Amino acid sequence: MNFLRQFLALLRLNLEGERARLGSVLTIFVGVTCTVAVLVSMLAMGTGARQQAEGDVHDDEVMVQAQGAQGGFDSNISRDQMVTLRDLPGIDRDKDGEPRVAGIVFVPFEGHRRGTGRRVFFPLIGSSDVKFELRPPAHLTEGRLFRPGLHEIITTNACVRQFDGFGLGARREVRGVDWTVVGHYDQGQSLECVVLTDAETVMSLFNRNGFNRITVRLKAPSDFASFNRALEANPVLKLEAKPAREQVEADMKQFKGLLNFVSYFIGSIMAIGATFGAVNSLYSIVDARRRELATLRAIGFGSGAVVAATLAESILLALPGALLGAGLAWLLFHDMAVSPFGFSFRLDVTPRLAEIGIAWALVMGFIGGLLPAQRAARMPVTTALRAT
Amino acid sequence: MKYLPLIWSGIWRKPGRTILIFLQVAVAFVLFGVLQGLKTGIQHAVDAARADLLIVHGRQDFIFSGLPLGLLEQIRSVPGIKLVAPVELFGSYYQKPENGMLIVAVRPDRDWTDAFTFNVAPDQLAAFSRSRTAALVTEFAAKKYGWKIGDHIPLVSQVANKDRSMTWTFDIVGTFTDSDFTPGQYKILANYDYYDQARVSNTGTVNHFNVAVTDVNQAVAVADAIDRLSTNSSHETKTESIRELAQQQVQQIGDLDFLVHAVVSAVLAALLFGTATMMMQSVRERTPELAVLKTIGFTDRAVFFLILVEAVVVCIAAAACGLALSTLVFPFAAKIVTGLAMPPVTVATGLALAVALAAVSAAIPAVRAARLRVVTALAER
Repeated sequence: MNFLRQFLALLRLNLEGERARLGSVLTIFVGVTCTVAVLVSMLAMGTGARQQAEGDVHDDEVMVQAQGAQGGFDSNISRDQMVTLRDLPGIDRDKDGEPRVAGIVFVPFEGHRRGTGRRVFFPLIGSSDVKFELRPPAHLTEGRLFRPGLHEIITTNACVRQFDGFGLGARREVRGVDWTVVGHYDQGQSLECVVLTDAETVMSLFNRNGFNRITVRLKAPSDFASFNRALEANPVLKLEAKPAREQVEADMKQFKGLLNFVSYFIGSIMAIGATFGAVNSLYSIVDARRRELATLRAIGFGSGAVVAATLAESILLALPGALLGAGLAWLLFHDMAVSPFGFSFRLDVTPRLAEIGIAWALVMGFIGGLLPAQRAARMPVTTALRAT
Repeated sequence: MKYLPLIWSGIWRKPGRTILIFLQVAVAFVLFGVLQGLKTGIQHAVDAARADLLIVHGRQDFIFSGLPLGLLEQIRSVPGIKLVAPVELFGSYYQKPENGMLIVAVRPDRDWTDAFTFNVAPDQLAAFSRSRTAALVTEFAAKKYGWKIGDHIPLVSQVANKDRSMTWTFDIVGTFTDSDFTPGQYKILANYDYYDQARVSNTGTVNHFNVAVTDVNQAVAVADAIDRLSTNSSHETKTESIRELAQQQVQQIGDLDFLVHAVVSAVLAALLFGTATMMMQSVRERTPELAVLKTIGFTDRAVFFLILVEAVVVCIAAAACGLALSTLVFPFAAKIVTGLAMPPVTVATGLALAVALAAVSAAIPAVRAARLRVVTALAER
C-alpha cells in the first residue's frame, strides 16, 4: 500500500514537471510518433492487399487445377477431365439440374497505364460460365454482357480507371482480331483490372485445348471433404482441389510475408533509434531532477517506487506518440490506392494495426526507461544533495 | 588544428550522452544505407543489363508466344544480327511440386552463349553440346539438391513426351551462373532439339528468340526490322532489349522511390529532434565553461564553431559507422532483391545529410553560445 502511494505521488510529480522539460519530452514524442506512423502505414499495405484478395472470395467455391501446377499458367485441364469432374458429389446444381462448374482459361493481356503509358500485363480471362465471375456482390454497372463467339469483352471498372482504351465501345486488338468492350462490371472489393470473355473464343484463338483452372460451386462449404475424396479417388482426374479461400491465401502468403518482413525490419530499426533517443532524454530528465530525487529518497521514498515511477513516466510519454502515429497513418494513408508492385490495392489501417503500433511504443517506452530508472534509484543521496 | 583537443574533450564531456546520440544517428543511417542501397542496386542492375541482347516474343502475350521455329531463318537474314537462338521455356518440378525448376531449352550451336546472359566453363559447354540429353543447372540448384556432374535427374512437367510420360530425364554435365537482371535460381538448360522431338504437342514452336546484334547503336533499328517480318501474320512479334525489359520491371515497382523517401524523411525528422535537444542541453550545462573560454580570449565566432564542429564530428562519425553497418545487412536483403550496392554517391549523400543534420540541430545552441554574455553567464554559477 505504502509502495503504491509512493509510486502515485512520484508519478504525479514526474508528470507535473514535464512542461519544464519540453525538449526531452518532444524528443520521445516525435521519435515514437514517426516510428509508429511508419510501421503502421507499412503494415497497412500487407493488410490491404490481403483484404482485397480475400474480400471477394465465396466460401462455397473450390478451385481445381492440374496436379503440381504452379500459379495456374502451367496448369492444363482437358475437356474430358472437365466432363468427368462435373459428376462428382457435392457440386451444387442450378434449377435445370446442371452442375455449377466453370472452366477458366487465361492468357496474358497487354494494357497501358493512363498518363504514363507504361505497359502492364494482366490476365484475359475466358470463362465457360460467366455467372461465376458476376456472382453478387460483383455486378454489371454499365453496358451489357458479352455474346459468345463475337469477340466481345467486359472489363472491371478498375481497368477504365487505370488503363487507356477500355471505355464502352473501345476496340482492342488481340492476335489480329478486334475485340469490342461491351460492358463494365464491379468485382466488389478488388481494384484489379480483369478482362472477361467466353472460354471457347479464347481457346480457339490461342489454339488451346484445355482449361487452366476449374471453379466449382459446392452445395455447402462442408461438402469439400466428400468432393475432394471423390476427386482423389478417380485415377483419370490428375487434379488437385483447394477451397477458394485457401487458394487465395496460398497465393498471398509469400507476398504478404515479404511485405511484413520489410515493414517489421524498417519498423524495428526505427524503434531502436527512437529508443536510444528516449534513453537519452530520460537520462537528462533524471539528471535534471537529481536533487529532487535525492530529497525524496532522504525523506523515505523507497527505491522500488522510484524505479516504477520512472518506468511508468517513460511509458506514459511514449503513449501519445503512438496514438498520434497511428492516427497520422490512418489520416494520411487509410483507403489510399497504391500500386507499389504493379497491381493496385488500398491501404487498410485497421484497429489491429493501431494495437500493434501501440504495443510497439509501450515496449520502446519500457526498454528506454529501464536504465534511467535504475540510475534514478541508485542515486547516492548525499552526493546528489550536494550537487548544483 | 589547435582546437582539436578542446573539441574532443567537449564531445566526451558526458560520454553516456555522446554514445547514445552516436548510436541513434548510426541506427538511422543503417536504415538510410539499406534503403538507398536497394534503390541504387536496382538502378545499377538496369544500367548493366545488355542493350545489345534482344528478345523476340509474341506481341500480345509475353509468356505464351508459341512462335514458329521457321522465323529463325527469317530473323537471321535481317542485317546487323550476330546470332539468333531459339528458346523454349517449360515449367517442371523435382520430386515435390514445391521444388519448381524452369527448363530452358536452347540449341547448343557455336557461340550460342553470346546471345544469353549465362556463364559456363568452356569444358562443360563442350560437354553440353555433345549429348542430346545433357543439361546444365544453376549452381544454386545444384548445391540445394546435391546434384553432381554425371547425375541423371528426373523432372516432372506438364508436357507429355512420346513415352506417354510427364517425366523428363536429364544428364547433368555442368553448372552455370546467370548475370540477368532477375536471374532465376532454379533453372536448367536443356537441348531444344531433344525436347522438341520428344514432345507430343506444339512441336516446332518456341517461346522466344534471343538475338545478339553486332552494333548496339543499331539495336532499335534491328528490333523494328525483326518486327516488320511478321506484321499482319497470326504471330506478330515484339522485340525488346533485355535492358528495356529490366526498365519495365523497375517501373512496375514504381512507388518504391516514394516509399524510400517517406521513410528516410520520417527517420531524419525524429533524429533531428533528438540531436537538437541534446545539443541544446549540452550547451546549457556548459554555460559557465563557455563563459570561461570567452574570458580567456575566445571570440564569439570561435565558440560558435566549437559547438558546431562538435556536433558535425559526432554525426559524421556515426553516419559513417551506420553506412558501414548497413553493408552488413545487404546479404540478408538479397533475399528480396539481389545486387544491393553502396556507390560513392550514396556515401556522399549520407555524409552530407549528416552534416546538415548536425548543422541544423546545433545551430540554435551554437548561436546561443556565441551570444553568451560573460558576466551574466559567470554570475549564474
